[in-house]
Amino acid sequence: MTSALATPVDRPARTRRPVVGTSTLTRGSGLALGIAMTWFSLLVLIPLAAIVATTAAGGWEQFWRIVTNDQTLAALRLTVGSALGVTALNVFMGTAIAWVLVRDRFWGKRILDVAIDIPFALPTIVAGLVLLALYGKGSPLGLEWANTEMSVRLALAFVTLPFIVRTVQPVLEELEHDVEEAAASLGAGRMTIFRRIILPSLVPAIAAGAALSFARAISEYGSLVLLSGNLPFKTEVVSVRVLSFIEGGNTAAAAALATVMLIVALVVIVAVDVISRRVARRG
Amino acid sequence: MSIDITGVNKLFGDFVALEDVNVSIPTGQLTALLGPSGGGKSTLLRIIAGLDTADTGTISIEGTDATKLPPQKRNVGFVFQHYAVFKHMTVAKNVAFGLEIRKKSKKEIAHRVDELLKLVHLSQFAHRLPSQLSGGQRQRMALARALAVEPTVLLLDEPFGALDAKVRKELREWLRRLHDEVNVTTVFVTHDQEEALEVADEIVVINDGRVEQIGSPDELYDEPANDFVMGFLGEVTSLNGNLIRPHDVDVTTAPTLAGAVQGEISRMLRIGFEVRVTVLTDDGQEVQVTMTRTHARALGLEEGQHVWLTAATGATTVPTMAAV
Amino acid sequence: MVREPTAVRWLLRIVVCAYVFLLVLWPVSLVVAHTFENGLASLQETLADPEVQNALLLTAQVAGIAVVINLVFGVTTSILLVRYEFPGKRALSAMIDVPLSVSPVVVGLALVLVYNGQDGWLGRAAESAGYYVIYDTPGMIMATCFVALPLVIREVVPVLTEVGDDQEQAARSLGANGPQTFWRITLPSIKWAVVYGVVLSLARSLGEYGAVRVVSGNITGETQTATLVVQEKYLDFAQDTAYATSFLLATASVLCIVVVSLLRPKESST
Ligand SMILES: Nc1ncnc2c1ncn2[C@@H]1O[C@H](COP(=O)(O)OP(=O)(O)OP(=O)(O)O)[C@@H](O)[C@H]1O
Ligand SMILES: [Mg+2]
Repeated sequence: MTSALATPVDRPARTRRPVVGTSTLTRGSGLALGIAMTWFSLLVLIPLAAIVATTAAGGWEQFWRIVTNDQTLAALRLTVGSALGVTALNVFMGTAIAWVLVRDRFWGKRILDVAIDIPFALPTIVAGLVLLALYGKGSPLGLEWANTEMSVRLALAFVTLPFIVRTVQPVLEELEHDVEEAAASLGAGRMTIFRRIILPSLVPAIAAGAALSFARAISEYGSLVLLSGNLPFKTEVVSVRVLSFIEGGNTAAAAALATVMLIVALVVIVAVDVISRRVARRG
Repeated sequence: MSIDITGVNKLFGDFVALEDVNVSIPTGQLTALLGPSGGGKSTLLRIIAGLDTADTGTISIEGTDATKLPPQKRNVGFVFQHYAVFKHMTVAKNVAFGLEIRKKSKKEIAHRVDELLKLVHLSQFAHRLPSQLSGGQRQRMALARALAVEPTVLLLDEPFGALDAKVRKELREWLRRLHDEVNVTTVFVTHDQEEALEVADEIVVINDGRVEQIGSPDELYDEPANDFVMGFLGEVTSLNGNLIRPHDVDVTTAPTLAGAVQGEISRMLRIGFEVRVTVLTDDGQEVQVTMTRTHARALGLEEGQHVWLTAATGATTVPTMAAV
Repeated sequence: MVREPTAVRWLLRIVVCAYVFLLVLWPVSLVVAHTFENGLASLQETLADPEVQNALLLTAQVAGIAVVINLVFGVTTSILLVRYEFPGKRALSAMIDVPLSVSPVVVGLALVLVYNGQDGWLGRAAESAGYYVIYDTPGMIMATCFVALPLVIREVVPVLTEVGDDQEQAARSLGANGPQTFWRITLPSIKWAVVYGVVLSLARSLGEYGAVRVVSGNITGETQTATLVVQEKYLDFAQDTAYATSFLLATASVLCIVVVSLLRPKESST
């Protein structure tokens, strides 16, 4: 046997990088880190801690009473339910849109590409108004969804449209054609190639996009203000409930509900982190 | 004949990639498609595999007309220059893929995968991901994957192109031995004439979308059909309006033979055992001559000396374009 | 090349285009149409309304300052995260994304809890020193900074990682000091990512509604931004003004995306 065939594998090259936990900060960068961390604490960490602290000060019983209040529970159910539904829709539509953007060619594709970014750039209050124009009173389509549960799903679908598209698209662009050709020459049909070759490479991206989409959906507020009518037990989402607590001066209740939302967000972030780590390890 | 290609034309837009290609590839042999970059080798190989379709012409594989068959139905093994590994599957899973598509039993698959990994010497890496393999190992895995489905023909597109020179040389010898072992009709693309001459039973020279010559390595080397083939298969120099290999030029220090070309040595370069002599002929042409160090010393050659050049007896010569 | 059957391609193409048309393009075009129903009249009227003028000015001011702060913070933090090792780096890098997942209303609440003048942890001290945060511009800037915080970092970090530090080390070996290396080597190589991040931040900042609503107190003519005006006008049945203001905001944000898609270097044209 020739030597090359017998030699052990070369390991992937390691980047020179000190052990995690040790510091490579210089005096200048240390100072910069200090200032950045101070700002980050004042802006994000301390205020978020204040929410948790306010909730904790109220005690477990009060927390439980606020969270299990009928109207609040209805809002939670609506929010989480719609967010899940819309995210599921996005998993299909987002992947399909990304697919069309990368693999198809037709006149007007560029418009489609720009349209995907509009929901991200559009002010949320304007997004509500925009949807009202087509799905509100006197809808040209005959779909008067304003002030119904459908309006919540509609608004969430609108604002979360870009997330999965924009996470899946680059991965799809990176996929090499010859891998699919290899599968084809081994006898795999189009469906098999999609299921066994393409989909596995997309799953991490779809999952990451879905997490972002879900997090955005449960915290959405602006686009619903004008569109959903904020009817208790019917179209009131958690953010609106928090706001009415704030405007009613009931800060403790607002903080309690906000804590629930933070916990959900935290879970989502950890999930995304785990997923992206797994992807990085594979790449 | 295992693969018959008749009258194949292929255009990309208005660019002619293949022009009236007719090739028959013999069963059980190792055939090389040789030619310069952009000549259309990959295009031809992809048309055989069904990954591209010809505009006109027919392809038949083992006697059945495959012109309209999709790649899935052709039962060819294809090995890509950049491996085309399935990144998310282990080495064993990669090799098993084609067998699973063919709904073979678990036991049969496991057995066959084992056998193939042994054949390509990757048994101990069966459960690794491709990203944990070196380039040469990945390519051997891709080879095993293509062989697993017992293809009628095995097609390799510059299989060793992405590897470094040393590994490449070793793998090419190994491919030759592997071929003798499994005996499947094999076509491989290369633009390295040394690789083709060393490994192939038969060589198809392709240039600018046209087949220039088909033949065994010896035939091609000794009887090139034209100056392109002559030039592509090895070094050439021109003497008296003919292309000739530099080692086929005889040098004498006195005008003993009629028709000898007279000139003056303008440069001598020694590389190991070899001496490269540049002779400036009296009609102003530069002729390259190579000879062994011993021979040069025996003749007592040195720069500035007058010499007479003739073609050695039995030398391969082809008229240059200018002389035609 | 392996392609799916034509029928499948057409089906996908039609479903996707119909979905995006119904969800985005048609509604957006309706708002544009509403705005120009009476020609330019409603736009001119809207721009002449002092309430709208004040709001647009305030929006520009708040968004502008917030973007500058996020730019400086974002670039600094990206470099720290990519080029240096320090304890807690993992945690910081995960925390940076938090603002993307926090409801704007919760952002507002969090800031109010800490910076209000009556019982805020830091607000009392600030107010006794003469700084008013909540119900005033600083609070609105902070709220806007909060919601757009990760955008620059998310763009810059991948590019910075990709570029590697070879060039920087080469510059160092040639005698460049820290600032010189930053301005002449690091910044040029992340330029497009920074521009992209800034444009995204700007679009997000111009459009922030929920968080600003909570911290601003929504005082007409004083702490009312453009998005707040849209809501107020719409509910006051001044729908023309609402649509026209929306059109202005939408134009600004869509311009942002168009600029981005023009600036963005094309990696691959398919
Ligand atoms: N999909 C395509 N579209 C347009 N032109 C193409 C396409 N594929 C190949 N060509 C052109 O056809 C010609 C032949 O290409 P081909 O890949 O067959 O060359 P090759 O002989 O394999 O070269 P190399 O040794 O560089 O791989 C080239 O000039 C190439 O530019
Ligand atoms: Mg090629």
